[in-house]
Amino acid sequence: MKGYLKALILTLVCLAILIPFASSFPDGLEKVVETLGIEEHTPTWTGLMPDYALPTIDDPYVSTLLAGTFGVFLVLGVTFMLGMAITKPDK
Amino acid sequence: MQRRYYHPSKKCYWGIMMHIPDGFLSPTICILMYVISITFLVWSWRKAKATYSRSLAPLLAVSSAFVFAAQMINFPIAYGTSGHLVGGTFLAILLGPYAAILSMTIVLMMQTLFFADGGIFTFGANVFNMAVIGGLSLFLVMFLTKDPKRSNRFFLSVFTVSWLSVVLGALACGLQIGFSPVFSDAGGIAVTVPAMLFWHVLIGLGEAAITVTLISQLHRLQPTVLNGLATLRGRLE
Repeated sequence: MKGYLKALILTLVCLAILIPFASSFPDGLEKVVETLGIEEHTPTWTGLMPDYALPTIDDPYVSTLLAGTFGVFLVLGVTFMLGMAITKPDK
Repeated sequence: MQRRYYHPSKKCYWGIMMHIPDGFLSPTICILMYVISITFLVWSWRKAKATYSRSLAPLLAVSSAFVFAAQMINFPIAYGTSGHLVGGTFLAILLGPYAAILSMTIVLMMQTLFFADGGIFTFGANVFNMAVIGGLSLFLVMFLTKDPKRSNRFFLSVFTVSWLSVVLGALACGLQIGFSPVFSDAGGIAVTVPAMLFWHVLIGLGEAAITVTLISQLHRLQPTVLNGLATLRGRLE
């Protein structure tokens, strides 16, 4: 259990360190879409934190770090419930 | 996909490759991909229930949270394009194919619901391209690594298969957008498939390098964590 906690902390530390270095270039699919000159539509659902940023916080680093940390714990919680649902209790 | 027009003032933006936004796929393709993906999800759920013990739950949660974080960090590849880890093969090696498909689906679902990363109607396609292909890629690792004791061969298969999982995901994505009317003026699949493959052949190298690094470190530090292979070997042998 201690190892999992370590891995989780390491994940958050790496996220905090690497966010400023993340590339802002368009990704593979976006590059293709750009090259072909296709416009993206306004999405039907914009989510709470579009583009991994909290709309209320101006500083892009803090905003992304908070959104990312929220996401990490969100995924952790939901996948843990998934893990409990698909596994059998140990005898 | 990035939707940078939300924050026109911001110089930097964050995005995910291969997450198809709404509006790119025709309704027929959206429905078709939902049907295919749900079929795989039901299959994975049933298989998972018969396969895993409770001790997998914390590993499943932490590795999925890691994959979510890793997907936020884009690395530059070439010619002003970036990519990032998808992590399908990585999860499959840790968790086995069934739990990997299910947990990657949760990651994609959270990205769609909370971060508007990937569309709602295109969710089925995104699940297929990343979760299903990523999870199933473990079978190929198994096929290529016949003797588990030869770790060099294992790492070589991990490299090849994680690269291939990104390329196949991109191929599927290229077909899905290419057959949709939005892209028909641009030339359809004759244009979208080669374009998607060109970039993801390169992005896949990043995926492969990161996956092999992570797996080899885990193999060195905590070999018991590599459950996916153990589970599957036990079942197949």
